[in-house]
Amino acid sequence: MKRKVLSVMLAAAMTVTVFAGCGDTAEEPQGTPDGAAGTEADGDTAAAPAGEGSVYMLNFKPESDQQWKDLAEIYTEQTGVEVNILTAAEGTYSTTLQSEMAKDEAPTIFNIGNVTAAQTWNDYTLDLSGSALYDHLSDKSLVINYDGKVAGVANCYECYGIIYNKTILNDYCSLDGAVISSVDEINNLDTLEAVAKDINSRVDEINEALGTHLTGAFASSGLDDGSSWRFSGHLAGVALYYEFLEDGCDLIAGEPAIDGTYLDNFKRVWDMYVTNSSADPMTLEGGTYNAEMEFGMGEAVFFQNGNWEYSALVNPDNGYEVTDADLGMMPIYFGVDDENQGLCVGTENYWAVNAKASQEDIDATLAFLEWVITSDEGRNAITNEMGLSAPFDTFTGDYESDNAFVKDNNAYIADGKTSVAWSFNATPNVDDWRADVVAALTAYTNGSGEWDAVEDAFVNGWAAQWKLAEEAK
Amino acid sequence: MEKAIKKYFPIFVLPTMIAFTIGFIVPFLYGIFLSFCKFTTVVDWEWVGLSNYLKIFFVNGELDTTFIHSLWYTALFTIVSVVIINVVSFIIAMALTKGIRGTNIFRTVFFMPNLIGGIVLSYIWLMLFNSVLSHFSKTIVSSEWYAFWGLIIVVCWQQIGYMMIIYVAGIQNIPGELIEAAKIDGANAFQILKNVTLPMLMPTITVCTFLTLTNGFKLFDQNMALTGGNPGKMSQLLALNIYDTMYGTTGWQGVGQAKAVIFFILVAIISLAQNKLTTSKEVQD
Repeated sequence: MKRKVLSVMLAAAMTVTVFAGCGDTAEEPQGTPDGAAGTEADGDTAAAPAGEGSVYMLNFKPESDQQWKDLAEIYTEQTGVEVNILTAAEGTYSTTLQSEMAKDEAPTIFNIGNVTAAQTWNDYTLDLSGSALYDHLSDKSLVINYDGKVAGVANCYECYGIIYNKTILNDYCSLDGAVISSVDEINNLDTLEAVAKDINSRVDEINEALGTHLTGAFASSGLDDGSSWRFSGHLAGVALYYEFLEDGCDLIAGEPAIDGTYLDNFKRVWDMYVTNSSADPMTLEGGTYNAEMEFGMGEAVFFQNGNWEYSALVNPDNGYEVTDADLGMMPIYFGVDDENQGLCVGTENYWAVNAKASQEDIDATLAFLEWVITSDEGRNAITNEMGLSAPFDTFTGDYESDNAFVKDNNAYIADGKTSVAWSFNATPNVDDWRADVVAALTAYTNGSGEWDAVEDAFVNGWAAQWKLAEEAK
Repeated sequence: MEKAIKKYFPIFVLPTMIAFTIGFIVPFLYGIFLSFCKFTTVVDWEWVGLSNYLKIFFVNGELDTTFIHSLWYTALFTIVSVVIINVVSFIIAMALTKGIRGTNIFRTVFFMPNLIGGIVLSYIWLMLFNSVLSHFSKTIVSSEWYAFWGLIIVVCWQQIGYMMIIYVAGIQNIPGELIEAAKIDGANAFQILKNVTLPMLMPTITVCTFLTLTNGFKLFDQNMALTGGNPGKMSQLLALNIYDTMYGTTGWQGVGQAKAVIFFILVAIISLAQNKLTTSKEVQD
């Protein structure tokens, strides 16, 4: 009998321990999204005043995690409103968003990158058309319109094109036998092609004359997952842009079927990148090349990428040779409307506000966002600390960007050039479509496949994925 | 005493049972339920019946072979890796139980790859493969077969040491007198291996084949880091294919879930069958 009592007691003790364990977790302070992976803002000691909502932002850019947290702290000190920042690790935004949204304390601000994301999260996006955020937007095209509402407002804009080394290119112009006498002469694809070909074929001669250590005209065009988006996304975007323009559809939202009208131009530019580079076209998919490093170390003159590369290229920690004075960006001349074409301007970073949050939280969130783009602290953080170019009319004077590429972009706009919209944002099932295009492009480039397969993946793949995306709505 | 155990076992089992229910049974059943739904988050679902299962094989009304391809690719990968890992680790285990000099050092060395995580390991191997293959103007993702053998090499390198340890333990457990008796009866080395060592080792073989088989089917980290499913989706093993469907294709979370259910059924059937087969060959004392 004694033994029985003892065993029952022991069992009971075990059970209690288990439940005690559960109890502990439940008693954790609420307010911060519990158990979330990643890093959260320090739990604020000042509790939010009763009746006021709180803000929970799921930040998209890992590199600006700390800046957002600092900003949140300042805001809480000033207003007492609790602001939590959670940053998803690189490449895991959609998974993090999915799991965070399923929680009771769901994010009130999240990032949507394109129309597809706006479709996925349609039930969750609040119409921002009447918000202060939208009112301050200087370029009203920098929004995502979906389902009759403004689903997302750009929080920064970016531009991409062909980054070039100003110093080397200028010096090249002064050489004997150079095909151009001034960099300004490169204002169309024919000239760009001629210059790239000339530099690439005379690399040793140029190195000797200028004291450079070039290995080729273009930096490598890697087709691995870490680099292929520059071509299946950004370069393809130019082809899509001209086609959408011709068809008269929305430049960002796109159309259900495409003809690949400008694929020949795409091929011409791609061939230019690949043939005028020192990288082995057979191994571009291997992920062994680092185009940023090649350009940064002065091994290449041209490098297709965007203004986000600026901070990496001039960051002294990276040890690159190029400096601010070397950096310039020109449009990706496409052989269509070269004389009027500017850089490709757009963004994949739109703020969306969670419509399923409580009204207090929504109000607090909108107030916080307004504060970010109008207060000195907010503007300073965005421009100077995060290095972003904000598309709001409040960013003037000290808060204008010092990014060399953004300055180039402003110059092109002042010159009357037409910016190319980010038409690749219309891509249906973007990961799947790009994967197929990249596979075909890889096969074409390493000689195991034909260009027809690229066309097929581009055109037929688009229609098929569009249909799937429609069905999934 | 036995009676008492029978009477009170529910109480003793309770804590584990609760944990098992929360951590496994509930998510599992909920997962099966979700495979019949269209959902964005797990609490926001809409019943769609079998359409998720249809979409696995038919996309836009046409047969889609992506999943079928990754199914046989995974099966082939598993067969090849199970055979190589078990044969090689058995041979090494035999060699390292012969009492040669430095046995302990060798065992440690062979076991060490298993201490490195799959992702890190694959990135290291990726660099090795690509730098060797670049001499031939190839990369690990030049074709699905480069990727295939790359994965095999990495997985073998990682798991052989682990299985070897299990085999070593099994071999050491074979009573010396059995071997001695066989020798006295005039059996040669091959006969001893075939008629004494292998039958006595069947329980170990059951464990090792089970582990390698399920590891082969479930492989994810190495696949993701080494090939990322490239070229195209041709080197996607099942787990990566499911992940890709879940997070890569808009609105296809349900389809990914349906694939996961099929995946579970498949792995369950195969490992049960394997277990039964090898267990039946075990020698009963």
